Amino acid sequence: MTEPVIEPDIMRISWGPQHPMSGQTRIIIDVDGEKVHRIIADLGFTHRGIEKILEKRTFLQGIIPMERMVMADTPNIGLGYVMAVEEVLGIEVPERANWIRSLLCEMARINSHLYAFGLQAESTGYFPAVFLWTTIDRAVILDLFEELTGARWSLNFFMPGGVHNNLPEGFEDKVVKGAQYLRKRFEDYWEAMVENAVFEMRCNDVAVLKPEDAIRLGATGPVLRGSGVAMDVRKDEPYAAYADIDFEVVTESACDVMARTKVRYREIVQSLNMMEQIACEMPKGPIRKKVPLFARSKAGEALSRVETARGELGVHMFTDGGMNPYRVKINSPTLRNMYVFERLAELDELLVADVPVVINSIDPWYLDSDR
Amino acid sequence: MDIFVAIWRLVYTCIYLPTDQILKWVGDLFDLSMDILFNLPAYTIEFLIVNTKPLLQVLILPGLAFILVFAIIAVWFERKFLARAMLRVGPYYCGKRSGVLQVFADFLKLFMKEIIVQEDIDFLFFAAMPVLVSTLPALALILIPFDQNWVLWNVGDLSMPMFFAIAGIAPLLPIFAGWASNNKYTFIGAFRVAYMYISAEIPLVICGASVAIMAGSFDLTKIVEAQRNMWFCIPQFIGFIIFFLGVIIEAERTPFDIPVAEVELVFGWRTEYSGILFGFTMMAEYVMFQAWALLFITMYLGGFNGPNFLGNPMYSHIFWLVTKFAILVVLIVLLRCVFPRLRIDQMLRLGWRYLTPLAVLNLVLVLAMKLLGVF
Repeated sequence: MTEPVIEPDIMRISWGPQHPMSGQTRIIIDVDGEKVHRIIADLGFTHRGIEKILEKRTFLQGIIPMERMVMADTPNIGLGYVMAVEEVLGIEVPERANWIRSLLCEMARINSHLYAFGLQAESTGYFPAVFLWTTIDRAVILDLFEELTGARWSLNFFMPGGVHNNLPEGFEDKVVKGAQYLRKRFEDYWEAMVENAVFEMRCNDVAVLKPEDAIRLGATGPVLRGSGVAMDVRKDEPYAAYADIDFEVVTESACDVMARTKVRYREIVQSLNMMEQIACEMPKGPIRKKVPLFARSKAGEALSRVETARGELGVHMFTDGGMNPYRVKINSPTLRNMYVFERLAELDELLVADVPVVINSIDPWYLDSDR
Repeated sequence: MDIFVAIWRLVYTCIYLPTDQILKWVGDLFDLSMDILFNLPAYTIEFLIVNTKPLLQVLILPGLAFILVFAIIAVWFERKFLARAMLRVGPYYCGKRSGVLQVFADFLKLFMKEIIVQEDIDFLFFAAMPVLVSTLPALALILIPFDQNWVLWNVGDLSMPMFFAIAGIAPLLPIFAGWASNNKYTFIGAFRVAYMYISAEIPLVICGASVAIMAGSFDLTKIVEAQRNMWFCIPQFIGFIIFFLGVIIEAERTPFDIPVAEVELVFGWRTEYSGILFGFTMMAEYVMFQAWALLFITMYLGGFNGPNFLGNPMYSHIFWLVTKFAILVVLIVLLRCVFPRLRIDQMLRLGWRYLTPLAVLNLVLVLAMKLLGVF
């Protein structure tokens, strides 16, 4: 990429890719002493050409590379693709399949938010407890995934027309039990982290993103809701079984890093409620509509919108009547939020120590933004 | 005739000798022999201690062995304790499941690793800094009284100012180290050291002054003697809190490990050091911690004095000081489980806006107490 010229009296620091906290990306920070002058997000270190790969796969094969985008959140990402395929092929999904999809999506949201929560703790230097607590508690969700799908991370469970398998016997009870356990653990998290005096000092009034700025810059997901804008695809354009499930769109009005952390926290609580509700009210019926293995589509296009853990995912699919899509355009949430992150240095005064806190408050997944 | 008279006198004395006196002599003799018999090891040790005192002091108590043993135990305890807080096991394989030997393994690894040196730097200056930064604060330990008679360098009335002078050099060295590394992370880390220590040491010196006023002397031994009836942490509670924070700041421990914040500056001013030089920088943290924590105990927690049930000999004084020190170490390690790291501007605000005025307030209170004759 072409890097802007450095002004006099400004020092340019590379935050990543070789850095304890950065992940697979490079954030270029221009600093004036301890103050951040400018942030440049140098993405593309993990570009794998998923959009191009999808053009060479049949509709069914495409689920696997698509889910590699966000490993912590595979059901949500996979659902975006599967819904686009269903629209292209004109398939209706049975009701029970929709409910199972919602169940898995909410569990994945908890998994992903727990990871984000732990990283948020770690980015403030709170290394010991919370990150490893969340890592251990995620195993509850992953064990449930394993029992249902046979995989812990990349589930490949959704397919055009429904889901792969029916729920095993007694699975609903285990879901309820897991949700109850996590709810108990979450009281600990609230006390240990969100109400921690030093954590509050680090997160309150840092990187304030006003609602109008969030809308103007195209923020999405918990970043947008942390700025007080109640926007959630699950509510606005209900897909899967979300029209029948009770939940509220969580917003916080403080607009800072703490607000985004609290939004994630309260969203996990909402997801736990939804897990319990789905497990109790799961309808009976078929789980899959028969779809030919090498289905041919008509020429046309489809757009699906899904609320993933990081925000809204858009999959825009064009077909020309073949067995595979002609072009798939993915609008990934992390890329949109990274753009917001770059502008935050102009909107609010940041210090060098704030950079890891702020970047983890938008919960980036660089494979998602690089595609 | 003379012999006769002599024999008569002997008999006469034997007859009129007070028997209880003789019994007392015999008893004393018995006591003495028993005393020698049972306390021979103690007497031998005391004899050795008296005769090889300076050597023992340099090698064992405030010196090398104490520093190393403390560092080893503290590192082991911190690893195991933090592991429990994180729901982990901690070091497990070195030393029969307890992980005690992990520190030695780490030392061996660091010792055998290559020291990577950048181009275009002054190697001697670069390599000298970690060595100095871990040895200079150790010099301050020689002023700490472990007993009235167990002070390695007894400078009398100068000992507290001397401590501040020696320990005050230490923050300069990370700044040099960060500059010598020729790296942007180390540069920012070095200046964070400068900001942080200046904002912390001024309140600490004011607190030191108020303790000296209350004790009536700058001599650390006399300060300890002055706390025989009441520890200074009670009348000078504000100063006690300030100095407690000061110990954590000086030791660069959480929540004040701002100069080495991993998540933003890779490892602060230590980033470029590798191998045994890195080992020295880690050692420096513990040496600073030790020096300031011992001063803290000497100034506020009664120093080497403790409850008197062990009697009042030297080893009891040493025992009490080391026990207090161990409790303080546990407390400060516990803080690492509980708190995230502060930001540098919050640290400066804490130092200049809260700690310094509070230290002055503490000084005023002490002066008032002194003038009113409470102390």
